Amino acid sequence: MNSRFPKAADRGLAGCRTCGKVSPVTMGCCPRCGTHLHLRKPDSIRNTVALMIAATILYIPSHLLPIMTVVELGDVTHNTIISGMMTFWRTGAYPIAIVIFTASILIPLLKIIALSWLCAAATGKVHPSPKTLGRLYWFTELLGRWSMIDIFVVGILVSIVQLGNYMSITPGLGAIAFAGVVLLTMFAAMSFEPRLLWDRLDDMNPAAPDAPVEAATLESGS
Amino acid sequence: MKGAISKFRRSMISWPKPREDVRFSACHYCDTLHEAPPVREGKSARCARCGGLLYENQPASLRRASAFSLAALMLMALGHVFPFLIMDAATLQKKLTLVGAAMSLMADGFQALGIAIFLFTMVAPLLLAGGMIYVCLPLMFGRAAPGAFLVAKWMYISEPWNMVEVFLLGVLVSLLKLAKVADVHFGVGFWAFAGVMLCTAAAVSGIDREELWDRLEVAKL
Repeated sequence: MNSRFPKAADRGLAGCRTCGKVSPVTMGCCPRCGTHLHLRKPDSIRNTVALMIAATILYIPSHLLPIMTVVELGDVTHNTIISGMMTFWRTGAYPIAIVIFTASILIPLLKIIALSWLCAAATGKVHPSPKTLGRLYWFTELLGRWSMIDIFVVGILVSIVQLGNYMSITPGLGAIAFAGVVLLTMFAAMSFEPRLLWDRLDDMNPAAPDAPVEAATLESGS
Repeated sequence: MKGAISKFRRSMISWPKPREDVRFSACHYCDTLHEAPPVREGKSARCARCGGLLYENQPASLRRASAFSLAALMLMALGHVFPFLIMDAATLQKKLTLVGAAMSLMADGFQALGIAIFLFTMVAPLLLAGGMIYVCLPLMFGRAAPGAFLVAKWMYISEPWNMVEVFLLGVLVSLLKLAKVADVHFGVGFWAFAGVMLCTAAAVSGIDREELWDRLEVAKL
């Protein structure tokens, strides 16, 4: 326990994750909005790791299987996410190629790595530096949704390119796998508990509880 | 005298608070417990330990949230009626609406993807904008609409799943992909959804979570 910064959990208080009201955890549900109260999200690390493993496994078929199949005048071409990106790169549409590379390949991978790192820090396997890691956590939560872009592109192309014998597009299994990756990493980020990082830090540097436990002062700013 | 004026002013710019002895606020990131006195309009309180946002006092929060979410709802209706992508290929013209995109994925046997598109681009923005106006408009007159607590909760749950901006970028990429096959251009729906994106972003950043829940709590009593 760090004496300078009292923890709500040490007093048996829990901040509601929906409305922010602080109430004793023994109440069970938030008296204001009815959300279940927890000191820490239950089984946070276990859930995050499980969801991440599932996402990592799905990540492989999502890039190997075609996300859509284009039939143009009898010619059948299977498009994967990577081949779609390469087409843009070859035709000189570099900004779009970079956007697709970032959204579909880089972000899911970075998210899995970042969350693994966060889980390792929260369990004490690596030294936690909560301020940097907190920023990392916030960043992964913010970026994850942009990976959905390829799924939307498939949806749009499949429905608009239905030109009979001339050209038609059907979705492929890769699209489902990729949507799975995006959703699983989003759920994994949501189930992670950033407060565990600070708990870890306090366990490592226990300060003598000489000062009375008092609420910390506020910094006001715009 | 000066103290009295500032106290009066503070009561003017702040919202009615539920009766409590001491207000506490716990940081969402590091769980540090703070005493939570009201802050002036336009100011925010940040965690003394990690710097995370604790709560804020946004000017005209309810008015801004209702106005922007009403605009978002109206634009959403426009966006569903008009196509967002129009393609001229040889002799036929194809128009694509959002519902059409979700339906054709389902017709191809990819129900899961169709439902995902349906949820992320139609249900989540509707819950967000519709829920906000349902909760905020009566609250401006000090009333809580029936079921307002549940609606407000769902509004916050749907927030991370609102992917209108990602969808718009997807439309842009599709347009570039199709440009070599056919003559494709944006329809009114695209611009309407761009408006939805801006309005929901403005509404979400304008709403003051602390004020919303405090007012709901007071209105319920």
